[in-house]
This record gives sequence, structure tokens and C-alpha cells, in this order.
Amino acid sequence: MTVASLQFVAALLLASVLFPLLPTPRARQGALFLGNCVFLGSLVPNAATWAALAAFLASGYAAARILERRPVRALLAAYVAGIVAVFVLLKRYAFLEQVVPPAMLDHPITIVGLSYMLFRQIHYVVDSMQGQIPTPSLWGYLNYQMNLFGLLAGPIQRYQEFQASWDKLVTVATDQHDLLKRYLRVFWGVVKIVGIAAAFSFAYQKLFARLESLHAASDTPGLLTALVLFLGVFYLYPLYMYFNFSGYCDIVIGGAALVGLRLPENFDRPYLSRSVIDFWTRWHRTLGFWIRDYLFMPMYKAVAERNPRVAPSVAFGCYFVAFALAGIWHGTTSNFLVFGAINGLGASAAKLGEQYLIRKRGRAGLRQYLQSGRIRLVSIWATANFFCVSMLFFPHELERCLIPLRVLYAALEAAIRG
Amino acid sequence: MDELRTQVQEVFREVFADPEIRLHDQMTADDIDGWDSLMHINLIVALEKHFGIRMATAEIARLKEDGQNIGTLLQLVAGKLPRA
Repeated sequence: MTVASLQFVAALLLASVLFPLLPTPRARQGALFLGNCVFLGSLVPNAATWAALAAFLASGYAAARILERRPVRALLAAYVAGIVAVFVLLKRYAFLEQVVPPAMLDHPITIVGLSYMLFRQIHYVVDSMQGQIPTPSLWGYLNYQMNLFGLLAGPIQRYQEFQASWDKLVTVATDQHDLLKRYLRVFWGVVKIVGIAAAFSFAYQKLFARLESLHAASDTPGLLTALVLFLGVFYLYPLYMYFNFSGYCDIVIGGAALVGLRLPENFDRPYLSRSVIDFWTRWHRTLGFWIRDYLFMPMYKAVAERNPRVAPSVAFGCYFVAFALAGIWHGTTSNFLVFGAINGLGASAAKLGEQYLIRKRGRAGLRQYLQSGRIRLVSIWATANFFCVSMLFFPHELERCLIPLRVLYAALEAAIRG
Repeated sequence: MDELRTQVQEVFREVFADPEIRLHDQMTADDIDGWDSLMHINLIVALEKHFGIRMATAEIARLKEDGQNIGTLLQLVAGKLPRA
């Protein structure tokens, strides 16, 4: 079941009417738990997957409780390393074929939303160890991880934020007008996915298929044709991703509010970002903040604690590693490493550029520079196009991702040779 | 709280290399030149070292959220210091 399906939307509308009739928070929690189980049940293919999922989630809760009592960093590191190894195995990462016996990858387990569960679980365990989950409960934790509104693709909500609305589950809408806005948001999300994103996806598939057939036949098109095809796939896929993903977020954020759950926003006009770092605070924001808090910060802080003078120059490396890891998290094949590495390079370059401007002009000069309308336009254009470059490596395995570049290069070479 | 504010102010001046910084409760990251994500961590590390305290990941992240200011930071530091 997908969130833009008729069944999901109909169930959501029904739930939004029935929920306020349930008299106590416990009754509403029970109803939502039932909804979580039904939704999850529609995505779990077999008993082995149920067992693996139960073990995965139980390990998180158990580790959190143990680390809460014995906050030992080495224990935390061992748990995180272990759970990441299990995640890599369950997801059947492509590189494992070279490392482990094939029998280990030949398992029937397919857990939808496991990547998001992993990030929520690491956050939950770290925060528990640091005493930041004041009233933990297995009931709350299970519903946090199984929450149907964040199961498939986030947002990556923090447990404290989830618990604040889970404990009461009263409607988020302040009045009838606000309630209508939440319904409209769900409707608009459906339109984005089944209308706009689907149209962009259709056009992208057509152009990509044309590029593939040219490449397969070793047929070199004219430069203009190659350029049109290339720019088509270059811009259409990021547009598809934006409308598809932000539409999904509109449905789940708007839908969750109808049953009393407040989810964090995940988009803030990302294509108006002025640098790659800025971009990741506007596109899939909850992922960007997770990377900042649980990947970048521990790495950079460890260096800054030991050697504060060296830290600023090491920051670029930390940005690169954090984004490369986040790239790999997106999928199991090598193209996602390229996607992450490009974004890591972009983030490092943005920070380097800022440092250079501070050295040259001072902080006041940097502020003045950033206020320039012309600079703003150029940086927005450059950031959006930079992201489109990285997205060339998102939709397919690496070899297929390279086809648009290969066709364009061949056409360019032919044009130069005359 | 005044003594704490003075000490925190000293740490700010050192981290941001600006002897003119004067802290008041309503100040936010926007009011201090150069208080970006990187400087935020440098500041936290310096505060932890100065006061011999440890801040949690969630606390550090929360300080960057909307509505947080110097007043919140002072309260957080004060809450971690041993009571006299």
C-alpha cells in the first residue's frame, strides 16, 4: 500500500472522522497502533521478515535501557557497529557479494522502511544513553518506530517530539479553517504524486529510454539533440523527486495531524538554497539534521576536543565523510556512494569558499557579499544545478547513470571533429 | 547567574575572537557574527572544557532551534553545574 493510494487516503479520511470520537488518549493510541500494524502488515511479505523486524526493534529498546543504566561509550560504539552490520546484510548491499558467502545474502527478509528505522534507532539509543529520553516505554517506542506516517520515507522524527503528541493524540487543528487546510494538504500531496510527479517521471523515462537506445546502438546523435535529451533527464528527474517526495510528505504530515500526531516539516523551498549545506537544511530536512547531529557533530567534536586549532581545517573532511555515508544510506549500489561523495564535495567546497571570503573580506564583508542580489541569484542557480548533477547518479546503477553523460560526450566529440 | 553570565561571556569572546561581545538573555545566534554550525560546536566544546560539564547531542541540537537564546544556554549550563 502506498500513501497516495485510494485505500490509504480513504482509511485516513475515515480515521480523521472516527478519532475524535474515541474518549481517551489510550483508546486513540490503541486505534493508531492497530492502524500501524495493518499498514506494516501490508508491507511484510513473510514470517522471517516479521521475526527479523521484531529482533531489530527489540535490540534497539534493550540497548537503550542498558546504556541508560551503564552509559559506556564503547558499548554504544559496539551496538551501533553491530546494528549497522545487520542493516547492511539485511539490505544486501552490493559490495557484500565480494566479502561474504552468497548463502548469507540469500535470505527472504525484506523490511520496508528499514533505513529510516535504523536512523531513528541510533538517535533513540544515543539520546537514551545521554539521559535525553525522560519517560521511556516499550509501547511508545514501538509505535514511534512503526508509526505508519513515517514508516516508508520519513520524516525522521526525534522521539521526544513524537512522544509530546503521542501522549495526548488530540487534533492538531486549531479551528475548522485549520482542519480544512490539513485535508487540503493531503489532497495536494496526492495531486503532486499522481499528477505532477507522474508526468515528470513519464517524460524522464521516455528521454532516458531514447538515450539508452542511442547508447546501445552506438549511434551518436547531433549535438543539439544530445543536449536536449541530456538537459531533459538532468532537470526532469530532480523535479520528479521533488514533487514525489514533497507530495508524500504533504500526505503524511497533513494526515498525521488529522489523528493528532505532529510530524516535522521536511521541505523548505530547497531549490532556492544558496549552498549545498543550506540545501540539506531545506531538502529532506530531517535527514540533513540527523546527519548534522549524529554523523558530523560527533566526528568534528571529537577532533575539536582534542585539538581545537586543527579542528576547522578538519571540518571539510568531516563534511565529506558525513555526506558520503548518508549517500550510501540511500541505497545499496555504488551509484549512491557517488551521489553522497558529490554532495560531500559540495558541502566541503561551500565551507572552504566561506572561509576564503572571511579571510579576504572579514565577517562584515562576507555578510555584505551575501546580501548582493546578483550573488544570491548566481548561488541559487549554482546550488540547484549542482544538486541536479548529483541526482544524475541517483535513479539507476552506476553504469546506467553514466549513459546520459556518455551520449553527450560522444556528440560533443563528433561535433568538435566536424 | 551574573557570575555565570560573565564566565560564559569570556568563553564567547575567546571562541569568536571578539572582546566586544556582551551577552544578554534575548540574544540569539543571529546576533553574533559567525555563529554558524561549526562555531556552535567550537563554542560547546569550549564551554564544556571551561565548566567541566558534558552536553548531550539532543541538547546541543536544541540550542540551534528557533526560539532558543542566550538565556536558554545559560539555564542549560547552570543546570549542569554542581549546586553550591
